[in-house]
Amino acid sequence: MLTYKGRFDLTRFEDLTVTVDFHCHSACRFCIVQEGMNLFRGVSLERLRQAVDDNVKHRRYRRICFTGGEVTLEKKLFDYIAIARESGSFEHIRLQTNGRLLADMAFARRLVEAGVDEYFVSLHGHDAATQDHISQRPGSFDEAIRGIANLAELGVCLMTNTVIHSLNVDHLPKIVQTVLPFRPVRMEFWGYIPMEDYADTLGFLVPMRQVVLRLREALSLLRASGTEARVKYVPKCLLGDFADQHDDAQPDVVIAERFFDPYPNFSCIYEGICEHSDTCLGLSHPYINKFGWEESLLQPTPRTRPFVEPDDGPAMGSDRPGEGVAPALDHPEWRILVDGVAERYGAKLSAVQLTRRSCVFTFVRGESSVEFVLSARDDKAPALARTPSFNLHYRAVRGPDREVLSALIRAAAEAVALRDRGGRLLDRRKGLIGAEAFRRHAREPFG
Amino acid sequence: MARSLLAPPTLGGLSLLESGPDDRYFDYCLEPYRPRRPWRGMLRGENIFWQSLALGGALDSLRPPLLALQSSLGPDMTVWGVKWDGTRLFWEVYIYDPLKEEPAATVSSLSTTLAPWLRVIPSVSESAPYVMVSFDLDPTIAARGTIDELNLYLTGEQGQAGRVYKVRSGEAELENTYRFLPPKTGIGQILPLIKASVFVDFSDPTHLARILIPELFACRKICVAKKRRCDAIYFSGVPVDRLLFFLRRFRYPAPLVEFLAYHQERFEHLLFDMGLDYRQGQDGAILYPKTSFYGTL
Repeated sequence: MLTYKGRFDLTRFEDLTVTVDFHCHSACRFCIVQEGMNLFRGVSLERLRQAVDDNVKHRRYRRICFTGGEVTLEKKLFDYIAIARESGSFEHIRLQTNGRLLADMAFARRLVEAGVDEYFVSLHGHDAATQDHISQRPGSFDEAIRGIANLAELGVCLMTNTVIHSLNVDHLPKIVQTVLPFRPVRMEFWGYIPMEDYADTLGFLVPMRQVVLRLREALSLLRASGTEARVKYVPKCLLGDFADQHDDAQPDVVIAERFFDPYPNFSCIYEGICEHSDTCLGLSHPYINKFGWEESLLQPTPRTRPFVEPDDGPAMGSDRPGEGVAPALDHPEWRILVDGVAERYGAKLSAVQLTRRSCVFTFVRGESSVEFVLSARDDKAPALARTPSFNLHYRAVRGPDREVLSALIRAAAEAVALRDRGGRLLDRRKGLIGAEAFRRHAREPFG
Repeated sequence: MARSLLAPPTLGGLSLLESGPDDRYFDYCLEPYRPRRPWRGMLRGENIFWQSLALGGALDSLRPPLLALQSSLGPDMTVWGVKWDGTRLFWEVYIYDPLKEEPAATVSSLSTTLAPWLRVIPSVSESAPYVMVSFDLDPTIAARGTIDELNLYLTGEQGQAGRVYKVRSGEAELENTYRFLPPKTGIGQILPLIKASVFVDFSDPTHLARILIPELFACRKICVAKKRRCDAIYFSGVPVDRLLFFLRRFRYPAPLVEFLAYHQERFEHLLFDMGLDYRQGQDGAILYPKTSFYGTL
C-alpha cells in the first residue's frame, strides 16, 4: 500500500482511496495519467479484501473512495462496493467519477442502493463547448450534468471536483453557477500538477496570479450560497479570506506504485519561515520551473513555532504499519559499548555516528534527547569521565526529561568504562588518534 | 534489495567498493551526516568518482596519487569534486582541516604525499590561516606532472563564510567569496545574496528558479558564492535520486549517468553535494559554465 503518511499532512487520514481501473471513456486534454491509462492495472478484489480486512481490524479509515480511470466502467464495480459495504468498517462509500454513466438513472439508483452514499464528480467546464473540448468527447458535458441531476434527485451527497488549468481558469465562477442549482455539499478546486508532461509543454499551467483572481470569485459565490469549498495545490497564502478552505491533505491510496514515479514534488521558498508550511505544500516543481518561485506573490505567515527540517526518516521507514523503521546506522562495534543502557531508562539509541574525531551516540526518550560523545583520550582536555581509550562528554540535551537523561549518561559512561579495555581506535584503519596527533597551537587559527 | 543478475556496468574494469561498518559520512565540508540507510549491501560514494576518472581518461594516471592521499588522510577524509563544463570532465580534490588537527592535511604534507606523481609548485606558509586547500586535476595536469595552482580557503565569521585565494608560484589572488546558509530558515538571507549579482538580471521571475533549482531546494545547506566571472550556488546534503536528476538536468556524459542509475539503490544511504556556476547569456538565458558534484574518498 502506498501511503502519503508523513508526506503531506499528519493529521487527517480518514480516507482510503482504491483505484479499481485505468480505463476512461473521456480523454481529458490535461489528464495526468494519459500514459498510465490502459497501462496500469487496477487494484484486484483480493487486494481490496486485504485492505478492508485491515480496516475491520484497525478501523483506520472512516471512508473508502473508489476511483479510476473512470470507475463506473469497471465491470466488477458492484463487487468492490459489496466488499466495502459488507465489511461494515466504513461510514461512507464514495465514487470519484466523471459522472457520465450516472446520466442513466437506473444505474445511478443501483449504485445508491449498493451503498455508495458520496459522489465526487469531476466537472471541468461550465458549458458543453468548454467541457466537451476538454474531454474530447462530444456530449460528455450533457451526460455529466444529467448524472449530477440524478444524484441530486436521489438525495445523496454530491461533491464536484474541478482541476484548474488554462482551458477553464476563466470559467471557474461559471462552473460554480452551473453546479449550485444541484445543491452540492462541497465543490473542490485542484490546481493542475503536470505529471507525465513535467515541463508542461502542453501549456495547462496557469500563473497563480491569474488562478487566484478567478478562484476567489468562485469561492465567493460558494460562500454566499453556504456551500462548502476546498482548494488543493494552490498555496494557502494566496487564498486571502478563503484560506480556511485550503486543504493539501491526501488520503492513503491503494494504487500501482509506479503511478507515483513521475508525481511531482512541491516546495515553497518560505517553507522555513511560514507558519503554514506543515500543511501547505506550496508550488509544484513544474510550476516553479515554468513561472518561478513567486517570491513576491506569496505571503508567508510568520512562524510561532521553530521550524524543524524534515528528516529523511520517512524515506527510510516502512510504509507498512507495524513493520517498523529500518535502522539508519549500524556501527556494531561501537554500539556494543553502550548496548542495553538506553532500555533501562525507557529510552532508545537512535543513532551511532562516527565523525572525524569522535563517536556520537544519540539517545532519545520521548521528546527528550541527548548526545553522548567519545573522543580520543586526552588527559589534559576537559571530560565528564575518562576510560582507557576515550574522553567522555555529553551535549545537546533537549526536552523535559533531563534528570532521566542525566542518569542515562552516567550509566552510559559506566558501561563504556566497563567495556573499554584500552587501545580502541576512532579510526582503526589509519592509526591511533590521540593527543600526540594534534597540533595544539592552532585550534583557534583566527583568534 | 532487488538487484539485476547482469554484470553491473563499470568503466575501466573497476571493481566496486562496498560500504563497510567503519565508513563515516561527511559532506563536502567534512561535516558529518547521518546516512539514510544501513550500510550493508551499499556502495561507497567514491565509486562514482573513480568511474568519472575512468570516463575522463584519467584513471590510470591519477589513481595512484589519489590513493596515496586517501591513505595519508584516512578513508572518508578527502573530498572529491567531479566537474563538467558541457564538453569535458575534470576534477578537484579538497583537503579540509578547520581545526588544524591533522598533520597530513597541510600543503607541506600534501606535497610530500603527491611527490612521486605530481609536484606541487606553489609554496604556502603553514602559518597562513587556511582551513582547506584544493587543486584541480585533469589528464593534462597528470601528464605534466605538476600542480601549478592551489586554492586556499579562509573562513570568516563563525566558519559559515569565507574567501578563496588562487595561489600560484609567487602570487595569490582572490578567487571568490562564499557563504553557507540553511536553505529553509535562511531564505531571508539567501535571496538577497543571490540577487545581489552583476551577472544575472532577476527582473525575469524565472531566473531565480534556474539557480535556486526547486528539485534541489530540499537540501541541508546552501552555499552562495561570488566568483570573478560568474556567481555560483551549491546544494549540500542531497540524496542520490536528486544527484541523478542533477546529472541528467546538466547532461553529464551518458555512461556516468547510466552507471549511477544502474546502481542508484546502492547509493541510497549517501548524501551528495552539488554546485552550479551561472551567469546570464547575451540572449537572456541562464548559462552554466560549469557544474559539479561532490563526495568523499
